[in-house]
Amino acid sequence: MGLFSSKKKGADYPGRESRAGAETSLIGARLSVQGKISGSGSLIVMGSLEGEIDLSGELVVSPPAKLRGEIRARRIAVAGTVEGQVSAQEKIHLEKSAVFSGELKAGRISVAEGAVLNGSVAMNRESDPQEG
Amino acid sequence: MAGDPQPTVTSIIGRSLAVEGEIRGEECLHVDGRVKGTLKLEGDLVVGPSGVVEAEIDVRDIFILGTVTGRVTAHRRFEVQPSGRFEGEAAAGAYEIHPGAVFEGISRMLSSRKSPGEASAKQPQPSPSGMPQKT
Repeated sequence: MGLFSSKKKGADYPGRESRAGAETSLIGARLSVQGKISGSGSLIVMGSLEGEIDLSGELVVSPPAKLRGEIRARRIAVAGTVEGQVSAQEKIHLEKSAVFSGELKAGRISVAEGAVLNGSVAMNRESDPQEG
Repeated sequence: MAGDPQPTVTSIIGRSLAVEGEIRGEECLHVDGRVKGTLKLEGDLVVGPSGVVEAEIDVRDIFILGTVTGRVTAHRRFEVQPSGRFEGEAAAGAYEIHPGAVFEGISRMLSSRKSPGEASAKQPQPSPSGMPQKT
């Protein structure tokens, strides 16, 4: 079956992540995850998740995504539905289609007109405010 | 539907990502990172060369290029590529183990064919060919 080239590229992966090749992961709309997602790189969620996300990269929550739980990432953009505690080292942006309830915490926060925001907002001053 | 060999949407768990818990869905999933827990898909599972999956797996087809440990049910096809490694219990409609691949454990065939009589009778008793039972 010609699905894959037979090159064994990366087969002996030593477990050290090269920051240069930070790739994007995708949880599709018809996938649901219960548990914990952690790691580096970027993640786009269109499906549903209940649990925890701990990401040192960027998180994009895109409709029809439904997230519930505790979410941490460097940067977070929300256009779907999120319930829980969300914190970003750098910034959080709520798009106009975003529906959020819970606690929001980031160095910088922006909210588009039309976004639903129920809960608390906190700016963590201690985080390095340098441009990301 | 039988006309669609592979659903178009594929979710990806990248190399630097780890998921612990339960993943369920109606699409295909490509794992280059780590998954631990339960995986139940209507679609296919591809475990890439860097992927490490330790889970109870129930999928349509599974293609292993990385490492998979656990109990796997592949309703159609179970394939281990030369770079792949499987350890555990497998049940599948069909197997393809390439030379160089590692398969350690137990394999079982999922027979899709049942005689019409058996299928409708709801099997009130274990089939005579099954394990000996003492009651």
